[in-house]
Amino acid sequence: MLEVKNLHVEVEGKQILNGIDLHVKPGEMHAIMGLNGSGKSTLSNAITGRENYNVTKGDIIYKNESIVEMEPNERALAGIFMSFQYPTVIPGVNNTYFLRAAVNAKRKYNKQKEYDAASFLKFVKSKLKEVEMDSKYLKRAVNEGFSGGEKKRNEMLQLLCLEPELAIMDETDSGLDIDALKIISKGINNYKNKDRSFLVITHYQRLLKYIEPDVVHVLIDGKIIKSGGKELALELEEKGYSWLES
Amino acid sequence: MNLNDYQNEFDNLIAQQSFSTVSHPWRKDTFSKFLDSGLPTRKWENWRHTDLSFLNKNNFRISKSDDANDGSIDISNYEIANTFTIIIVNGHYLTINSDLPKELIVSTNSNGKNWTPKNKKDTPFELLNASLSDSTITITTEPNASIQKPIHILFLCTGNDDLMINPQVNIDISHSSSATIIEQYVSNTSSFFQNTSVFASIEKNASLNHVRIHSNSDQTANISGLHVTQSDDSTYNYFQLVDGGALQRSDIYTDLKGKNATCSLSGLALLDKKQHSATYIISDHIMPNCVSSQNFKSVLNGSASGVFNGRTIVREDSQKTDSKQSNKNLLLSDQALMNSNPQLEIYADDVKCAHGSTTGALDNEALFYMQSRGINKKEATSLLIRGFVSELINGIKSEDVKEYLFRKFDNWLLNNNQ
Repeated sequence: MLEVKNLHVEVEGKQILNGIDLHVKPGEMHAIMGLNGSGKSTLSNAITGRENYNVTKGDIIYKNESIVEMEPNERALAGIFMSFQYPTVIPGVNNTYFLRAAVNAKRKYNKQKEYDAASFLKFVKSKLKEVEMDSKYLKRAVNEGFSGGEKKRNEMLQLLCLEPELAIMDETDSGLDIDALKIISKGINNYKNKDRSFLVITHYQRLLKYIEPDVVHVLIDGKIIKSGGKELALELEEKGYSWLES
Repeated sequence: MNLNDYQNEFDNLIAQQSFSTVSHPWRKDTFSKFLDSGLPTRKWENWRHTDLSFLNKNNFRISKSDDANDGSIDISNYEIANTFTIIIVNGHYLTINSDLPKELIVSTNSNGKNWTPKNKKDTPFELLNASLSDSTITITTEPNASIQKPIHILFLCTGNDDLMINPQVNIDISHSSSATIIEQYVSNTSSFFQNTSVFASIEKNASLNHVRIHSNSDQTANISGLHVTQSDDSTYNYFQLVDGGALQRSDIYTDLKGKNATCSLSGLALLDKKQHSATYIISDHIMPNCVSSQNFKSVLNGSASGVFNGRTIVREDSQKTDSKQSNKNLLLSDQALMNSNPQLEIYADDVKCAHGSTTGALDNEALFYMQSRGINKKEATSLLIRGFVSELINGIKSEDVKEYLFRKFDNWLLNNNQ
């Protein structure tokens, strides 16, 4: 599904990632753990193609194709999705309208008939239930006046509507209360199947109580210094990151 | 054209046989005041950001009443559904497309007979308008009348001559009555200069919704003065769209002379190439308990430039004033330029006033967010610009007008997001 090979990434002239190797197979869930500033978010931004995240060496292969030169929307249409750590507020753009534009872009790409307003509303309402989100949030501007938890639910709603094959969850647990955390985790667990993979980026082990990664990687100073099973997360929780440094 | 050219046009105008001699002394006096002041230059504080060389470089002749005699005009592009449409061709009244209700009185004068124009502020363009004005339209509502259908005044400039047009519009909304008036400026000429003065009086408990659409062809200058006087408990809602013309300037004066009056001014400029649009406002709070707002936005592409100069004066007696000013501008190119200057002048102590201004490019974060959901950059850009302007257009009460304005916006976007 996703192969990251010796990835070096520079942001505004500063080297952040120093040779990352990662292989996520279909149906697998990988967790990337690390302290602030270790390069976790840089990795997710490089995979999704954010401007100014320059790949200076190495490659990102998705479904056997290099995506480094692709536009962010082309990567999204190919099946990559990122749940943002800080979802962007877009004043003036209605949430339903935005979501329909996104879903229709995907349907067009898949040569499916695009949704009209009425049929889309029916479609999105079925998804709302899964994230236990009030339909009033559909009427607002994208993420405007949403609490931290509501924003993350909105990200999850977008994920459910867009049906990506590779979902990157960037610090999804930050800013969530325990109830919201459970809902999001349930959403992830329900969504995961043998064809869909997850890359979960997190600082703490908290989220990993509710979802079970197949592989855990520890990222320090832009390099993966240790990989292991889910027990590695528990070890980190107990000992902190310092025993891995040096 | 220089002051001598204006003098020649003035002499030709008053020499017309049909022209009433009664107003000659007043006009001569007004015109000499204009000559004394001359046209503004960029050394004048209120004209620092506006280049008037377009007027100086071109010559215009005053339109005559027979310039309106063109029965073959196609106005289908400018029609707004469910309105009374008054067509003014080359400054002179042509027709009204339907029967008016008896509570609405519309009178026109297109040859200067028995009529003396108005002048309020002695600014150069107002003096010029008042001395040269040879056509007027007066709209009056009967007391307690509620005129549901909007009254659409379509100023159309057409033909091959470079014309100068100086109409005056008088609006009198009688007590406890309400109306919606749309002024629209369009043209298919190569070049012309329109200089309009509008005087609106909104009496006690009356309400006026006023929409102005500036959509002239490229080589035109459109200058307008708007004077609004409000009485007790009156409401005035103004919206202007500027999406055409080389040079457009609005000077708006609202005098809140009654208590508990509400005055809401808003506008949207959609500009590209070398277009320039300037809006100067003086909202004068004279009496207590009034609410005023200014909410103006621009989207500037190419090397277009804009000015927002909104001034709100809160006088000593106008306690409990609630006043807001907001100016937000979106720059789509590095060459576009905006001058934004919201000003509050407060002499009363128990008031609520706020002002703010932002100017910037499209939000890259928002663009990336949308792209990361599969929306391409062009569509994401359209969604963002639409999001930026829709708040203002959605504020318009008439659905037909709203629909027309969104259609105009979509057209503009089609040409400016490629």
